[in-house]
Amino acid sequence: MKEIWVYSESAPVSNELATAASELARVPGWRAVVLELDSPRDGVFSPSGKLVLRAESRIAGSADTAAHAIVEAATKLEPVAILVGSTRLGRELAARLAVRLGRGCLSEAFDLSTDGAYLSGKRYVYAGRVVASVSAPVPCIATVKLGSYSQLADGSSEADEMHVGGAGAGLKVLDVRRKQASAVDLKSAKVIVSAGRGIRKKEDLELIEKLASAVGGAVGCSRPLSSDLGWLPEEHHIGLTGVTVHPDLYLAVGISGQLQHVAGIKDSKVIAAINSDRDAPIFQASDYGAVGDLYKIVPEMLKILSGS
Amino acid sequence: MKLFSREHAQLLKENYPSHEEYEALLSSLSSFLEERVMPLSHSFDSSSASLSSARRELMQKGICQIAYPEEYGGLSLPFGVYCAAMELVGSADASIALSVGIHNTAAEGIFQFGSDYLKSEFLPDILSGKKIAAFCLTEPTSGSDAKSMATKARRSGGEYVINGSKMFITNAGEADAYLVFAATEHGHSCFLVEKSTPGLEFGEDIQKLGMRGTRTSEVRFVDCRVPATMLVGREGIGFEYAKALLNGSRIVMGSICVGIARTAFEKALDYSRKRRSFGKPISDFQLTREKIADMKTAITAGRLLCMHASRLKEMGEEFSSEASQAKVFSTEMSLMVCDAAIQLFGGYGYTDEDVHRHWRDARLLTIGEGTSEVLRMLIASKELARSL
Amino acid sequence: MRIAVCVKQAVDEGELRLDSEGSPVLSGAATKMSTFDKNGVEEAVRKKSEAGGEVVVFTAGPQDAKRTMKEALAMGADRGVHVVVGSEDQDALLTSYLLSRAIKASGHFDLVITSEGSSDTYTGLVGPMLAEWLSLPFIGYVRKIELRGPAVTAERALEDTVEVVEAALPVVVSVVSEINEPRYPTLIQIMQAGKKQIEELRAESLLDGAPKVGSKVLGMKAQSVARKKVIFEGDPQDVARKLVESLRAEGVLKR
Repeated sequence: MKEIWVYSESAPVSNELATAASELARVPGWRAVVLELDSPRDGVFSPSGKLVLRAESRIAGSADTAAHAIVEAATKLEPVAILVGSTRLGRELAARLAVRLGRGCLSEAFDLSTDGAYLSGKRYVYAGRVVASVSAPVPCIATVKLGSYSQLADGSSEADEMHVGGAGAGLKVLDVRRKQASAVDLKSAKVIVSAGRGIRKKEDLELIEKLASAVGGAVGCSRPLSSDLGWLPEEHHIGLTGVTVHPDLYLAVGISGQLQHVAGIKDSKVIAAINSDRDAPIFQASDYGAVGDLYKIVPEMLKILSGS
Repeated sequence: MKLFSREHAQLLKENYPSHEEYEALLSSLSSFLEERVMPLSHSFDSSSASLSSARRELMQKGICQIAYPEEYGGLSLPFGVYCAAMELVGSADASIALSVGIHNTAAEGIFQFGSDYLKSEFLPDILSGKKIAAFCLTEPTSGSDAKSMATKARRSGGEYVINGSKMFITNAGEADAYLVFAATEHGHSCFLVEKSTPGLEFGEDIQKLGMRGTRTSEVRFVDCRVPATMLVGREGIGFEYAKALLNGSRIVMGSICVGIARTAFEKALDYSRKRRSFGKPISDFQLTREKIADMKTAITAGRLLCMHASRLKEMGEEFSSEASQAKVFSTEMSLMVCDAAIQLFGGYGYTDEDVHRHWRDARLLTIGEGTSEVLRMLIASKELARSL
Repeated sequence: MRIAVCVKQAVDEGELRLDSEGSPVLSGAATKMSTFDKNGVEEAVRKKSEAGGEVVVFTAGPQDAKRTMKEALAMGADRGVHVVVGSEDQDALLTSYLLSRAIKASGHFDLVITSEGSSDTYTGLVGPMLAEWLSLPFIGYVRKIELRGPAVTAERALEDTVEVVEAALPVVVSVVSEINEPRYPTLIQIMQAGKKQIEELRAESLLDGAPKVGSKVLGMKAQSVARKKVIFEGDPQDVARKLVESLRAEGVLKR
C-alpha cells in the first residue's frame, strides 16, 4: 500500500488535507494517512487511519523538530506524497522536507489529482491573476492552499505509532504572545467591511466600524493601513500576504484595489466597493461599485440601514 | 500608469552610450513619482493639499542635481537626461514640475553667472532642495517686452536699493532665494535676494486656471536693500543672462508639456478601450483612432524636438532657435492632445478634474517663459538673418 | 558583520499582458524587484549601519536580473553576486540551491535575509530551503530583528501568535513587509550603484549536487473573474441607496 501522508499543526487544516488525501487515494493502491506528532488530537479525522510519531522530547511546535521526525519516518515508510497545510509553519515544514528528502514540492496547490506517477494541481500566481497547472513526480511534497477543501468531519480513529529519535534544536523561544484575537475571525466572517487609504485619518476608522456593525460584519483593511500606518493590527490585513477571506459580502471602502489586495478577496460571493476614483482597479474586481466620496456615501448608507 | 516607457528607453539608447545607467536612473525616478507624487496630483489641483513636502522629497531624491557638476552635489549628466526626467515629473504632476523647473532655472542663473561666493553659499542648498528658488523677470506691465521693465536697482555705497514689482512669480512667498532682474544705471542687472531681506513683500496667492498646486503672486521691492555681493555676474548685462537662462528653460517647459500631454493621452487611450457605445468600445471607431494616432505622433514629435535642442545645448552649439521650436511645438501640441482627451472622455472629460486638469495645466505654457508669438519672432528672424 | 540578502527580479504583475488565448505573455514582460525583497534589502542595509560590515546581494535569475541587483546596490548593498540562469524552469528547490552555492562561495555570512515570498509566484519556500542547504537555523516571517552580539532576537509572526525567539548567529531569516519602510534611493545613489561590483556565476557550473527532481509548471491561464462591475455614480444619497438595494437583492445583507 502506498501512503499519502497529511500534516498540519492546525486541526481544521488537517481535516481539509484529509479530504484532499482521500480524493487522491482513489488511485488503486493508495491510502490516506493523517500524521500526528507527539499524540493524536481530538477533532482531527482521517479517512483511513493515523500515524502518530513520538520521540523523547516534544516534536510539534517547531518546523525543524517536526521535519526531523517526519523525515525519519518517511525514509523508512516511503509515502508517495506528503501534504502539508499552507500555514506559515506548514510552508517552513514542507520546505525542509523537500530538501532533506530530495523531493519536488508543489506549493499553494489546490485541485490536486494524480495518475500514479505525478502529483498535479493548480495554483494562483501573479497576485491571483493567473492559474498555473503544476506537477511533480511522485514521491513528492505539496503545500495545500487553505480553504480549498472541505474539512473531514468524521473518520477512522485507528492509529499506528512510530518512535523516532527526537532531534532538531528548534529555536529558543523567549516569549509567545497571542495576537489580539480579532473580535471576529476574518477567515470565517460572512460579511467584511474593509478600509483602505481613502480613509484620511485613524479616527475616521470609526465610520468603518459603524458600517461593519450595521451590516453585521468584521473589519478588515488593505496593507497600507496595517503595515505602513499601523492603524489596525496585522491580523486585519487582507491580501496576498495577509488573510485570504471568503465572505458572502466584501465591502471595500476607500481601497484602490491593487492586485495584492484583490488576491485575498477573490473567493467572496459578492464584492462591492466605494471609491472616489472612477478608474480605481477595485471596480474591475467588484460586482457593485459606488463612485464618490466615502465620507458622504457611508453616512448615507448608515442612515438607510438604521432607518429600516 | 508606468511613467518610464519603452519610448524613453529607445530615445536614451539612440542618443547616449551610457543609456543603461540613465535608464536605471529614470526608472527609479518613475517608481518614486508613481508612488509618491501621482496619487497626490488631484489634491494639489483642488488645493486640498500643499505640494511642498512632495516637492521636498523629489528634490532630496536629486531632481535638481542631474545636470550639475559633482562639486555642487550634482550628477554631471547630460541636459537631455534632465529634460527626460522633467517630462516624467510633468506626467506625474504638472504643478510640481513647474515649481521645480522654475527653481532650477534660478539655480542655473547662480551657477552660470554667479560669483564663487554666491555659488558656494547658495547653490548646494538650492540643488538639494533645502532652499527653494524663484525667478523674477515678468512685471505687471512688462512680459514679452522684458527690456521695458520698471523695477530699478540703484547703487548706494556697498548696497543696491531695489524698487519695483514683479508679477506672476512661481514659488513666490515660499522661495528662500529670488533671482531678480532690474534696470540699473547702464542696462539691466541680476540680483539674488533672500526672503528675509527687509523691503521684500509678497502679494496674495493668485487664482489660476491651472497649475493650481504652485504658489503664484506679485513680488514687491520697497527700498529693498541688498549687499553688492548679491549682484549676479556683472552690472549692465543682466538681460543677456535672462535670455541665456530662458533658452534652457524653454526646453524644460516643452518637456513638461510633453509629459502633461502623455498623461492625458494614456488616460484617454485607456478610457477608449473601456467605454462602449453602439455596442462597441469607442476605440473601434475610426474617428477615435484618428485622434489616437494624431495624439501619439504629436507627443513623439514634441519629445524629439526637445531632445534635439538638448543635444545641441550639450554640445555647446547655438540652440536658441531649436529651443524655441521645441517649446512652441510642444506647448501647442499638448493643448491639442489634452483637448482631444477631454473630447474622448465626453461629458466626463468636461466634468472630471482628473481629465480637464491637464488642459488647464498645459494652458499656461504657451504664455509663460516666452509666449508662442515672441518665440515665433525669434525663429523667423534667425531664418531671415541666415539668408542675408 | 557580513550580511547576505537575496532578491528576485519578479514579473510586474500589474503590467502583465495576456495573449488572445488568455495566457500571460511572460517573454518580455515588465519586471521589478519583488515587492517584499525591498524590505529585505532595507533591513540588511539598516543592520549594516548599526553593526558595520558588508551587505552582499544575491540573485539567481536571467541575465537582465542585473537591473534588480543595481536597485539593491543603490539602496546601500555593497556588492552583488549574480547566478546567471539560462532556462526558465526554476522552482524554489533549484533557486534556493543555487543561492546557497553562491553564498557558500562568497565567504562567511552572519545573517542571510530573504523575504517571506516573491510577489509574483509566492511559495514561501525559498527562505527555509536556503536554511536547509546552508545547514543554518531559520527564523521565518520576522517583523523585528535585534542584534545582540553573537546572537539575534527576532519577533516572528505566525497566524495567531507572535513569538520572540533567539538564535546564535549565523542564521537565515525571512522578513515580512511590516518590518520596515524601504528607502527610495537618491539619483546619486543610483548612479553610484553602477560602479559597484557584481560577480557573475553561471548556474551550469553549480549544478553538481543540485536536486534532481523538482516541480514543473505545465501551463498558465488567466483567472477569469466574472464580476458584474455595475457602477453607481452621482448624488451620494442616490448612490448609497442603490448600493444598499443591490446588496439586499443579492441577499448578503441581514437587513
